[in-house]
Amino acid sequence: MDGTERQPRSARLCALVALVTLAAAACAPSQSNRGGTDSGAVPDKIVIGSTLPLTGSESKAGGRLKQGYELAVELENRDGGVDVGGKKVKVELKLLDDTTDQAKAVNLAQRLITQDKVDFFLGTYSTALVEAQSTVAEQNKIPYVNGGGAATSIYGKGYKWIFGTLAPVENLATTEMEWINQQQSDGKLAKPAKVAILWENTSHGKDFRKGIQDFATAHAADYKVVVDESFELDGKDFSAVLSKVRGAKADLFMVDAHLPDFITMHRQYLSAKMCHQIITYGARGSEADARETLGQEGINYILSAVWWNKQLGDKGLNQEFVSEVKTKFGAEPEWYQATSYEAGRALLTAISKAGSVDKQKVRDTLSSLDIPSILPSGRLSFPQDKGGQASYPFVVQQNLPDGTAPIIYPAELATGKGVSPNPACKG
Amino acid sequence: MGEVLTLAVSAVLLAGFYAAMAYGLGLIYGVLRIVNLAHGGIIMASAYLTWQLFTKLDLDPYLAIPITLVVFFLVGLAIYWCLVRFLPRGSAGAVQSLLLLFGVWLIMRNLAYLLFTGNDQAIRTRYSTASVSILGASYSLNRLVVFGVSMVALIALHLFLTRTYWGKAIRAVGQNRDSCTLVGIDVERVYLLTFGLGTALAGLAGLLASTLFAFNPSFGASELLKSFVIIVLGGLGSVVGIALGAGILAFAEVFSIYVVPSYLTSAVGFVLLVVVLVLRPGGLFGQRVLG
Repeated sequence: MDGTERQPRSARLCALVALVTLAAAACAPSQSNRGGTDSGAVPDKIVIGSTLPLTGSESKAGGRLKQGYELAVELENRDGGVDVGGKKVKVELKLLDDTTDQAKAVNLAQRLITQDKVDFFLGTYSTALVEAQSTVAEQNKIPYVNGGGAATSIYGKGYKWIFGTLAPVENLATTEMEWINQQQSDGKLAKPAKVAILWENTSHGKDFRKGIQDFATAHAADYKVVVDESFELDGKDFSAVLSKVRGAKADLFMVDAHLPDFITMHRQYLSAKMCHQIITYGARGSEADARETLGQEGINYILSAVWWNKQLGDKGLNQEFVSEVKTKFGAEPEWYQATSYEAGRALLTAISKAGSVDKQKVRDTLSSLDIPSILPSGRLSFPQDKGGQASYPFVVQQNLPDGTAPIIYPAELATGKGVSPNPACKG
Repeated sequence: MGEVLTLAVSAVLLAGFYAAMAYGLGLIYGVLRIVNLAHGGIIMASAYLTWQLFTKLDLDPYLAIPITLVVFFLVGLAIYWCLVRFLPRGSAGAVQSLLLLFGVWLIMRNLAYLLFTGNDQAIRTRYSTASVSILGASYSLNRLVVFGVSMVALIALHLFLTRTYWGKAIRAVGQNRDSCTLVGIDVERVYLLTFGLGTALAGLAGLLASTLFAFNPSFGASELLKSFVIIVLGGLGSVVGIALGAGILAFAEVFSIYVVPSYLTSAVGFVLLVVVLVLRPGGLFGQRVLG
């Protein structure tokens, strides 16, 4: 009996000790010592955490972003690792599948930061997931660089630790309008041009609309917005909005849509025998899926704009990037790999420039970073006035009847000449 | 006036697709009193089957209708035989059936992710963007065909339910299960047949959807919700009511653009649902039995 009485007492003592230890741990700063503010010492290994939608609805994009992150880390390790204050430190990427689920993206980020104590974070894909996950990084004061969140709403919250390599979708609209403006100045398009804007009711669509609206307002004498309608994702019938566009006799048909809505709407557009001097569906139109589902004739002369295109890849950093992706993954890179690769490269460059794994120093370095880049502007920085979101022009492409989609704008990156007004409308 | 007429024709064509989408759900609910949450999954699976038949065997989607009907009839029989028949009947089994069939849907969706990834797929035939001119306006040939198939399905289903022994048995079981047992109708077999038929109709809807829209493993969720709105609008268990419910939803969605922003047009259907549930819980056309 004595023994049994003594045992609970000792157990209670152990529990008390454990409780005190836990309390002490809880009161301690949440930052890991490995990369915390007091880390003067250079560690033997830098661990970067990340989650991506490797399964679920965004698995296609997630898989491509994974390739970009992995390539950035592999190239760094191939040279012996990141140069931190003269010492080469290997980098490990700890990447988990968030299954395209917001709650999981948040929980896994929390786990990677607090339990696995990763030093830095590379973000997930799609605006909704990045928006949710970036809050965790901000709360834990850990540098978070992402290549998959474009909405300005992510960067408009005053967060200090969030950086993104995807330029705002507003820039997509603006870059397209700049090319259209050139064509109008050359007398090829109506002046003033009547603009129909149809945008999906998401932050992506809202940013697109803002880009067009701002441009039209700034050039009020040249552009008149005659239709401004949003639509719900996965629409089944666009006859009503298309009818509005037809009734308004628009010259420019400017739409922002994801692939399923692009296919449904454009099929109805073609069936209704509509035609406009300029047709765009934002980023849609130049991909193989569009050609397969709508036919070459159906997508001829559609304008599209993306953050990066492999046609940029014939010199300098781009050539190296394209060649490495082809060698490692056996496929041509798309913008997904490019922006995620740049996110990884920017983070590793910032660590090296900071000469430390101190999170605050790396964050400060990221905020003032300005490095040569594969992105269209040739430079990558995270301007403070944009909340840490990179800003650069998109590359505008146009589908041509020969099956190509050359870059037609900006002029210095062009690989072909654009056509306007849409020749398909004649006759 | 011309624009109104164009929109009215578009609404009728949309209604055809909506009706095809809701027949299966309405039939199963009308007889078994089960909301088949796997309905969306069946629509998605059928879209993938049609896509596979088209890409691998070069089989035109409309020629694949008999195959789709048979395959999904058998799938329906299997789901009923392996799972649904073990559920308690009537309101006692309502929650279990929701959970069970929702589980079936989740399994189907995740299987599709495994087999086909999350990529959007679409079927392009020679006539995908072909059009037909009606009263000076151009309409998608594909939508006209979908409308035609939906009308044929409506008539066939109506004739089956009113002219055949098994159709009458289905209606009788929908009316009063206990009396059917007394007069010697094999109720279990009627349930099995109804579930198979409802699933085959959902398969038909998936096939028609695949000719009009892009799809991925998440496809089917909004189709399920709209089907539910339609069967409530039309009166639970009424086939003609379903067609009328589909018409009301389609017209409300298409013409609401004159009143609300177009992104709210899908919400119009749900507002209608709430209004009808409050004012006429039996649906606009009353609580009728099938047929």
